[in-house]
Amino acid sequence: MADLEIRDLYVEADGAEILRGVNLDLDKGKTIALMGPNGSGKSTLAYAIAGHPAYDLTGGTITWQGTLLNELAPDERARLGVFLAMQYPVEVPGVSLTNFLRTAVNAVNEEDVPVREFMQRLRAEMAELGVEESFLQRSVNEGFSGGEKKRFEILQAALLKPQLAVLDETDSGLDVDALKTVAEGVNRLSGPDLGTLIITHYTRILRYIQPDEVHVMFEGRLVASGGPELADELEAKGYDEIRASA
Amino acid sequence: MNLDALTEEGIAALSDAAGEPSWLRDRRLAAFKHTLDRGWPNSREDEFWRSTPFDRRIDVDRDLVTTGSGASAPGGIVDGLELEAAQLRIVDGSVVEATVPTALAEQGVVVADLADALTTHGERIEQLLGQLTTADAEGTGADEDKTIGVNDAAFTVGAFVHVPAEVEVAVPIGIHLHVTQPGAHLPRILLDVGHHAAVTVVLEHTSAAGTDALVDEVLEGFVHDGATVRLASVQSWHDEIQHLSLQKLQVHRDADVSTVAVTTGGATVRLRPETDLVGPGAQVRPLGVYFATDGQWFDLQPYVRHIAPHASSDVLFKGALQGDSRSVFRGNVFVDKDAVGTSTDENNKSLILTKGARADATPFLEIHCADITAGHGSATGQIDALHLFYLESRGIRREDALRLIVFGFFREVLREIDIPGIEDAALAAIEARVEAADLSAVQVNDAALRDAVSA
Ligand SMILES: Nc1ncnc2c1ncn2[C@@H]1O[C@H](COP(=O)(O)OP(=O)(O)OP(=O)(O)O)[C@@H](O)[C@H]1O
Ligand SMILES: [Mg+2]
Repeated sequence: MADLEIRDLYVEADGAEILRGVNLDLDKGKTIALMGPNGSGKSTLAYAIAGHPAYDLTGGTITWQGTLLNELAPDERARLGVFLAMQYPVEVPGVSLTNFLRTAVNAVNEEDVPVREFMQRLRAEMAELGVEESFLQRSVNEGFSGGEKKRFEILQAALLKPQLAVLDETDSGLDVDALKTVAEGVNRLSGPDLGTLIITHYTRILRYIQPDEVHVMFEGRLVASGGPELADELEAKGYDEIRASA
Repeated sequence: MNLDALTEEGIAALSDAAGEPSWLRDRRLAAFKHTLDRGWPNSREDEFWRSTPFDRRIDVDRDLVTTGSGASAPGGIVDGLELEAAQLRIVDGSVVEATVPTALAEQGVVVADLADALTTHGERIEQLLGQLTTADAEGTGADEDKTIGVNDAAFTVGAFVHVPAEVEVAVPIGIHLHVTQPGAHLPRILLDVGHHAAVTVVLEHTSAAGTDALVDEVLEGFVHDGATVRLASVQSWHDEIQHLSLQKLQVHRDADVSTVAVTTGGATVRLRPETDLVGPGAQVRPLGVYFATDGQWFDLQPYVRHIAPHASSDVLFKGALQGDSRSVFRGNVFVDKDAVGTSTDENNKSLILTKGARADATPFLEIHCADITAGHGSATGQIDALHLFYLESRGIRREDALRLIVFGFFREVLREIDIPGIEDAALAAIEARVEAADLSAVQVNDAALRDAVSA
């Protein structure tokens, strides 16, 4: 049994059926890239894994290391090691970034890390990801640029040390240097204890983070899969072939 | 003497017993005559009382509390101020303590029982007292509300704070008003800040548990040219107190004022933080935070009058509500015809935590001058489901996430408070409310879910 098992998953949002029978296996230590045209349902799958309240699981199962996630609250999933770097990170007005991170780290570790130790770790990770110290004074994502938001998602992952990381278009909106920094950040997290699902439109990030498999979503289903070469093929030719065969 | 049945003899006797000078006695009696033919506010007729039913929320059939009770004030914010702070404590009808450290006294700083100050600073007090309420002060006139008139006529205890010109008082001055006796309390505070002086005043309100009282308070303040004033008013009453408060400041040329009202206690609290910007270049930042829970009714009426040109004001009040509580925000900005170059903004935001709570907001602008910039806004909402999801998706438990979001809501205001101790005190007061709240009953707004996802 794979660590992450998605079986015949159906998801609706606002009464519309978006995912129509998705099957996917991902083991820790592996990286899967998920591609597919706009609106095909990639983010919906990501949100369904994280437990977003707007998405109803109407059929099928999501199982993580033997635990059925379907009915679990988002915070329970996170404490089981699930992390979603969102395509559109949410601005939470007034909530201090430092407080937020510390509360999250304490919750996920189920113990209160002493403030000094936490701040040391936080500063170190920020330095690695090129996030300026001044951000400590800011509110969660409030007024962050697109790229800053993406960096901050990875900073959170670095602190929370998930075992399943879903990265939803973390590469979009990043300049070339930032992409490299962020990819390196992800690679530092990688290892036998992390399973990674990278959602992307571009092969650029896949040059830094080598996927073991590439899957293609189309109209709410996974319709093609292959090795890293599939990503190059899609980038060169687009989705016409997939559309035609669907 | 009953507040609802004041008499000329009664007021004269009150003044005589205190040994007041004749000008003050005369002024009290004149104010009394002025209020005589006026009724108590009528919420059907008086536009400033429209949202709060006076007859249901305010009980005026109470005896005046004119003497002390021997009780002492409990520890609080004022108590926690630094040792070098000047402090004044009022318990019921008397000033029980007034301390001014020698260094400040030598610079001429006065923090005193108004009754005592009448002997030492009588002339100054005669010039100022009632200028912004009873007398026809230029531009802003007398206050027509009987609840103010009765304070002019029959105030029961007073404090006088004077900071001479060019004196900067580094440590906040603390005034603590503590109520232990049932009845009507009519405290009066007179604040006189000389030109280019700087001072912070913390006004703390507390009551003994179970004390059913009306506190009808007037603070009058004069902020002269180039002075800097920070004024915090903290309402930490127990549940039975009805509190009417007018805090009216006259602000002169280039003076810089910011006020903050922190309201978490009291059955009914009606605050009128008012500022008359009478000198060019004057500026005011009226801030407020409030957290109302079951049974509470807060009515917040900041008022800014732009009389002089090139003055600026920026009002921001934020509150959270739960249970069957109510809040009313009736902000007013008046811009006189000559107040060219005025810049003003006025905002109110309410966070409704549970079903049954209600927040009414009406920011008013009354503008008689074309050459200005003005903005205003109000918003009433619930906790945003998307904010909650983001925090929860990081492992944060729902209750902790709600707490973070509620504090975050207030932080916009709290981070602007530059009065030592007050940000913490405000945070602690709000924290206590949040801790006591039934977070499982919190209603979340999921309307934002769809839009945000497909942003
Ligand atoms: N909350 C929602 N309510 C209604 N419809 C939704 C909701 N979220 C997504 N959809 C719809 O579902 C479809 C799939 O959306 P999704 O965001 O999963 O696509 P995607 O593959 O991530 O696209 P992109 O590459 O543009 O990010 C789209 O048609 C979208 O409009
Ligand atoms: Mg997407």
